[in-house]
Amino acid sequence: MNRTSLSFKIISRILLFYLALGIVVISIYYYYSRTTIEEKTRENAIFLADNTINSIEEVIKPSEMIPENLSWMMETGSIPEDSILSFLIKLVKHNPTIHGTTMAFEPNVFKEGTPAYAPHAFRNGNTIETTNLWSPNYNYFIADWYQIPSILQQPYWSEPYFEESGEGTLLSTYSVPFYVYKSGNRVFGGIITIDISLEWLTDIVNSVKIFETGYAFLLSRHGVYVTHPNRNHIMNETIFTRAKELELPEMRIIGRSMIKGESILTSITLPDKGFVWIYHTQLPSTKWSLGVVYPHREMFTGLHRLNLIVLLVSLAGLALLVFFTVRIINRLISPLTKFSKSARIIAEGNFNAELPQITTSNEMKELHDSFEFMQKELDNYMVNLKETTSAKEKIESELRIAREIQMGMIPHIFPPFPDLPEIDLFASLESAKEVGGDLYDFFLVDETRLCFAIGDVSGKGIPASLFMAVTRTLLRSVADKNKNTAEIVRSINKTLAFNNESNMFVTFFVGILDIRKGELKYCNAGHNPPIMIRNGKEVNYFNITRAIPVGLFETYDYEEETIQMQPNDQIFLYTDGLTEAEDKDSKLFGDDQLLETIRQYPGASPEQMIRNTIQAVARHVNGYAQSDDLTMMSITYFGKDAKTQTTENPE
Amino acid sequence: MNRLKRKQGKNNRQFLSMRNLPLTKILFLAGLFLLQGSGLVHAQGNKLTFTPHWIPQAQFAGYYVALDQGFYEEAGLDVYIHHIPADISSFDYLKNGRADVVSSFLLDAIKQRAQGTPLVNFAQFSQHSALMMVTKKESEIHKISDFHNKKLAIWSSGFDDIPVAFMRENNYEIELVRILSTINLFLVDGVDALTVMYYNEYDQVINSGINEDELNAFFFAEYGFDIPEDGLYCLESTYTERKEDLRKFVNASLKGWEYASQHKEYAIDLVVTEMNKAHLPNNKAHQRWMLDKILELMSPGDKNVKKGHLLEQDFYRAWSVIQANLSSTQKKQDVKLKNFYKPLAD
Repeated sequence: MNRTSLSFKIISRILLFYLALGIVVISIYYYYSRTTIEEKTRENAIFLADNTINSIEEVIKPSEMIPENLSWMMETGSIPEDSILSFLIKLVKHNPTIHGTTMAFEPNVFKEGTPAYAPHAFRNGNTIETTNLWSPNYNYFIADWYQIPSILQQPYWSEPYFEESGEGTLLSTYSVPFYVYKSGNRVFGGIITIDISLEWLTDIVNSVKIFETGYAFLLSRHGVYVTHPNRNHIMNETIFTRAKELELPEMRIIGRSMIKGESILTSITLPDKGFVWIYHTQLPSTKWSLGVVYPHREMFTGLHRLNLIVLLVSLAGLALLVFFTVRIINRLISPLTKFSKSARIIAEGNFNAELPQITTSNEMKELHDSFEFMQKELDNYMVNLKETTSAKEKIESELRIAREIQMGMIPHIFPPFPDLPEIDLFASLESAKEVGGDLYDFFLVDETRLCFAIGDVSGKGIPASLFMAVTRTLLRSVADKNKNTAEIVRSINKTLAFNNESNMFVTFFVGILDIRKGELKYCNAGHNPPIMIRNGKEVNYFNITRAIPVGLFETYDYEEETIQMQPNDQIFLYTDGLTEAEDKDSKLFGDDQLLETIRQYPGASPEQMIRNTIQAVARHVNGYAQSDDLTMMSITYFGKDAKTQTTENPE
Repeated sequence: MNRLKRKQGKNNRQFLSMRNLPLTKILFLAGLFLLQGSGLVHAQGNKLTFTPHWIPQAQFAGYYVALDQGFYEEAGLDVYIHHIPADISSFDYLKNGRADVVSSFLLDAIKQRAQGTPLVNFAQFSQHSALMMVTKKESEIHKISDFHNKKLAIWSSGFDDIPVAFMRENNYEIELVRILSTINLFLVDGVDALTVMYYNEYDQVINSGINEDELNAFFFAEYGFDIPEDGLYCLESTYTERKEDLRKFVNASLKGWEYASQHKEYAIDLVVTEMNKAHLPNNKAHQRWMLDKILELMSPGDKNVKKGHLLEQDFYRAWSVIQANLSSTQKKQDVKLKNFYKPLAD
């Protein structure tokens, strides 16, 4: 069990869900906060602008009253000619917002014959000075402050200007036409002005601070910057020259809207501040326009800070969530680890491994009970298995011993008769199971006769091997120099058939070769016909003998046959395990293939012939399991004149 | 001609008082100016004082460049550019000897000559007239004949010869309203039309928020008054005595103008510096416009004339305007081309 991956899977899924939920919640919150902030900021900008306008108007409006009242007084003749100058001095003295005042007369209005007269009182530091503005070099009639209101016949606020003497204060002049009665007619008498320092106004506008770098600015009636955070713009630039310089046609459009006196919320992208909102509105008195600029990105600085806090808190919460989730999950699934350890111990064979204690009554308890049940069942099974295994091992060991005994019965020393140069003999028995039912045997019945036999007991295993042992023992006991092969077989048959309740039988071939004469007498009881190889060339089966296997009928009469072997003739005996060897397609090795194999090796020694045949069979079955005993015997007869010539044993 | 500069008498009073200062004090101030290392002064070579006919602006950029780049110094001149207030005529400086060379309008110069001042035009830089009238389309003046019985604002300081001749030649009755130097009366609709220089006030109108497509523009040049403007003048005596210095001055100035045309931003920076020294409101956008237009005026265009030279028929056109404008009561001398115009430009 991979506990990490399980915890990880659970935690990651929970986290993913919370994360998605968090993103949705924060997005909604962010969107609504943004919208609200935008709305509030706009409202605030408008409020701020209107407030600033009011503050300015509060100063300007009363100031406007002064020349307007003076105009009325002039018209009614309330001010005597000789006290005008002192009147102007007092006016400046008692009105701190007023920097100077002028009463400029049309020709012949102040006095008949006076072409121009413009008494002027102005503040110079702490003193108030007076002068007559008119001189041959200064024709006030064509100065804006006089000319414009006199042509328009209405009050006029001049464009702001710097006072060139004194401290270079920024001023604006308010001019009001006045009228007098001459010969009973109301005629235009001249212009009364007040000069107002704009420092207080600059202070008011500059005090407007919006977020970090937001600001307010004031444009004159014709677009000149009266106040601006960048002092270089003041009086030097108009909003239209800035628009040209910055190549911002939209800025020109805003400027035009401003000098038209419109109150609008608009926006523009400035090179230094990025996207900004601008609200502008007009000063009713001077017709100047106030603009309030607030950078869009700074609108949300507070929100972004809040977002950061929310994000940090969320992350901390998420971390806590992960911590506790990990702890809870680990506690819940920790028995699984113990179960895992127990399972390993059980797998190693200790079925009594301790299981974790489960006190709760949930799935873990079920798992625990199942584990316990498994332990018990495994234990029982192992006890049974041990018993079965030891029984099987005992049988296997006994079978091995039986095999050893069986193999000890048959001769397996080759060459068996080194002193008999007339013959060469080799035999081989390969059992299909531990013990088999095939047998072969050979021995000398007297000095010149070799008795040999080959047999195949019906069935396999221990019964067959016991039956084979009996057959072999009988052969040895009944074969003597006085009996021919038929008598030997009959004797064996009689013994075996008697009380043969298991109905086992054996196909049996017995032969006695006279090694001096080469005469071979034999009796074939139902066994496969051996092969005769004449002088290493002619290869043929023996004639088929119609006799039944040994052990079936007690009274069956077997007959002996005789065949004459010539020197260098060879016989080859085998059991049906050879010809009936099957490959995986159940194809038999067969009689023909056997002959073919033997013909391939003319003149081979018995041992070579048997080994060649074993190899041919192995090639045929090609690894397919051997189903029957494989037994072969071959004898070469060299004749009585043969010298010791076996290759296997030169001595 | 800056509308922001002087509204109040006090401004003027300053200039007046300046002129009334004792000479010693003026010399002292001039000395201070020198010590401050002002760009206007170089200490080597033959001293030559040049007084442009208006306040510092891009109209005179070529001279600032020639001085700053050392073209005058290379020519062996120690040039001092001395600006005067707008309400004082540069000819006054010429006559009283404070200036060796002045710039002026061709028409004004011919008028001066006709009134007896022995001045000589030794270089004509401007080849065309920049004088024009603008109206707001809403005033319903769309063609020249619409000016009849309308109010036209015009400077009191001069430059009115062409409008007057125009009215006379076309038999229009136009009410002339004399103004000081601002465009404000026009902006507040106190007049129907405004006389402007294309390189200066026309752009100021645009820079006050009126779009070009809201204006009707009438160039006097298109109505038979393409009379050249800025040229260089000196007294006949100066011409006789310092001909070589004047020749060097003309050619170094032309070199300055050529350099300015190739390095406009640099030239604009010099102009702004000069304007700041004179405490004049300024902005680059407007000075850039002015430099471009001044350079266009200096280009001969379809006129067969070399740079720095005056076309003969331009002189006679100008002289005919002055002759007609000067009333029979005013004293008047005949102005001959060969006496008036003695070109020194290469």
